[in-house]
Amino acid sequence: MQEYFLLFMGAMFVNNIVLAQYLGNCPFIGTSKESGVAVGMGGAVVFVAVMAAAITWLVQRYILLPFGLDYLQTLAFILVIASLVQFVEMFLKKMIPALYKSLGIFLPLITTNCAVMGIALICQREEMDLLTTVLFAFASGMGFMIALILLAGIREKLAVRRLPMAMRGTPIGLVLAGLMSLAFFAFKGMI
Amino acid sequence: MNRLWKEFSKGLWKELPPFKLVLGLCPVLAVTNTANNGLGMGMAVIAVLTLSNFVVSLLRKLIPPKVRIACFIAISATLVVAVELLMQAFSYPLYQQLGIFVPLIVVNCIILGRSEAFAYKNPPLLAVADGLGMGIGFTLSLTFLGSLREVLGAGTLFGVAVMGDWFVPLKIMVQAPGAFICLGVLLALMTYAENVQRKRKGLAAVQGATHDCGSCGGCANVAKSQ
Amino acid sequence: MKEEIKMIVVLSLICGLSGISLAALKQVTAPAIEEQVLTYVQAPAINSVLSDHDNNPIKDRKSFDVDGRTVMVFPAIHDGKLTGVAFETSGKGYGGKIGVMVGFSLADGVLSGIGITTMKETPGLGSRVADLSYTSQFSGHAADSVKLKKDGGDIQAVAGATISSGGTVSAIQNAIGIFNALKNSFGKGWS
Repeated sequence: MQEYFLLFMGAMFVNNIVLAQYLGNCPFIGTSKESGVAVGMGGAVVFVAVMAAAITWLVQRYILLPFGLDYLQTLAFILVIASLVQFVEMFLKKMIPALYKSLGIFLPLITTNCAVMGIALICQREEMDLLTTVLFAFASGMGFMIALILLAGIREKLAVRRLPMAMRGTPIGLVLAGLMSLAFFAFKGMI
Repeated sequence: MNRLWKEFSKGLWKELPPFKLVLGLCPVLAVTNTANNGLGMGMAVIAVLTLSNFVVSLLRKLIPPKVRIACFIAISATLVVAVELLMQAFSYPLYQQLGIFVPLIVVNCIILGRSEAFAYKNPPLLAVADGLGMGIGFTLSLTFLGSLREVLGAGTLFGVAVMGDWFVPLKIMVQAPGAFICLGVLLALMTYAENVQRKRKGLAAVQGATHDCGSCGGCANVAKSQ
Repeated sequence: MKEEIKMIVVLSLICGLSGISLAALKQVTAPAIEEQVLTYVQAPAINSVLSDHDNNPIKDRKSFDVDGRTVMVFPAIHDGKLTGVAFETSGKGYGGKIGVMVGFSLADGVLSGIGITTMKETPGLGSRVADLSYTSQFSGHAADSVKLKKDGGDIQAVAGATISSGGTVSAIQNAIGIFNALKNSFGKGWS
């Protein structure tokens, strides 16, 4: 039990997917201007990351490895993720329109979100089992969401402050992300 | 000829990724802890980008618009796997250094973005020029950022010590916070330089480069569905 | 309808073509990749565990079959004479598989050294089985009864890491078994 707790905290804070592993930076900077949008994007990433990690794990274990096709990992994973995103989008639209309304527009963005593919790849490289994979993907997704919401909160406050013209927009977003990453370093002593 | 040069050269300054066209940030931040890694990643991106532009452009009449994104992904993923194999075969240490960021080239917005915004609408020769230009611009930027961080963070450049004994390396520069701050400050400096020029011409100042989603494949879909 | 058929045909055509070309590329690059992996991942361990040699153990490697398993053996050749061999075995540690490269000296049948190739042990604790203070105990050790002190042997386990130490020892015992089974066929392999 303790092992899983450490894995969870480690993936969420210590090795935060955005701030320490450099994954998913485009949406991190791109969708962190309003906290409402940040919550939607974060939710979509958690949802898709968990499903993608589980499915790619099964694909790797039961299709790629038995047939000696593991060199096609990249190709297989991206195709799985792309079709998964399409499928989830269609499913939500039909079955849960309320959720689709809040997550729908972020779903297509997720195909090119390297956090999702990155999580799936890390799980394979670390040779995790299925349960660990799902837990790790969930924790990493939550880590992404936390970082995104925090950054959005700060940027909302900054939007009404006077900043040098050249710093506005993406530059200040990146500098803030750097400072947050520095703050997250403090978690390194925790585990 | 003129047109060819125009498409090639725009990637070198006017639309220089990732500084002017803020795209594909993950590899930009992750692998620029040394100049060498930046250069290696850049080379891989040049290869994939140029070839994917070429193939997409060749097949542009064949690919039905409805499934074009899926086709782009399949094409670029194939090229990425090829680059992965070649890198393992001929430059294994670099492959180990870059880690999961080699397979992640496939989700780099630049690749899909150029397929969608340029290669799908233009003939092969122009598409190759565009891919080469963008790729070389990207490589130069990555190498520059990598050099800067390596010099400040470790006191070396391409692994050779360049700073004197007095220099105390700022370890933080080769780690994650340094990556974010360095890129942010560079973006701001470039915008500042542009604003000085604009002021001379009597134009209003602009704000820092924005994360340009317009030319990214996935984002284009969002814009459409909204 | 016609458009849909075209969609499917084009997509499967692209996927099929990419599959074929990648399979071909894999075929072509496979030997080079194996060479590179051995040179960069295994070579440091191999060279440190083998006794004096003037050949390239990686270039001269040969596979042998033991109990239905294939073992890649790296020879040490000095002045045209085979003096030692090394190969990799694995044992179960705390965090997963521990890969151990074990070197044997042929003249006196003792271990010429061991080196840890892969492991996922706890940093600072189990990971200390890779330290020279632990691994050097095996250099020159007779290749028969390798046991931890607590099992009546003479190997001092790493303090606080009995499982990791046990994993390496069982890997070495495993290697000794393979060595004894192959001892007589080595001479024929290289001359």
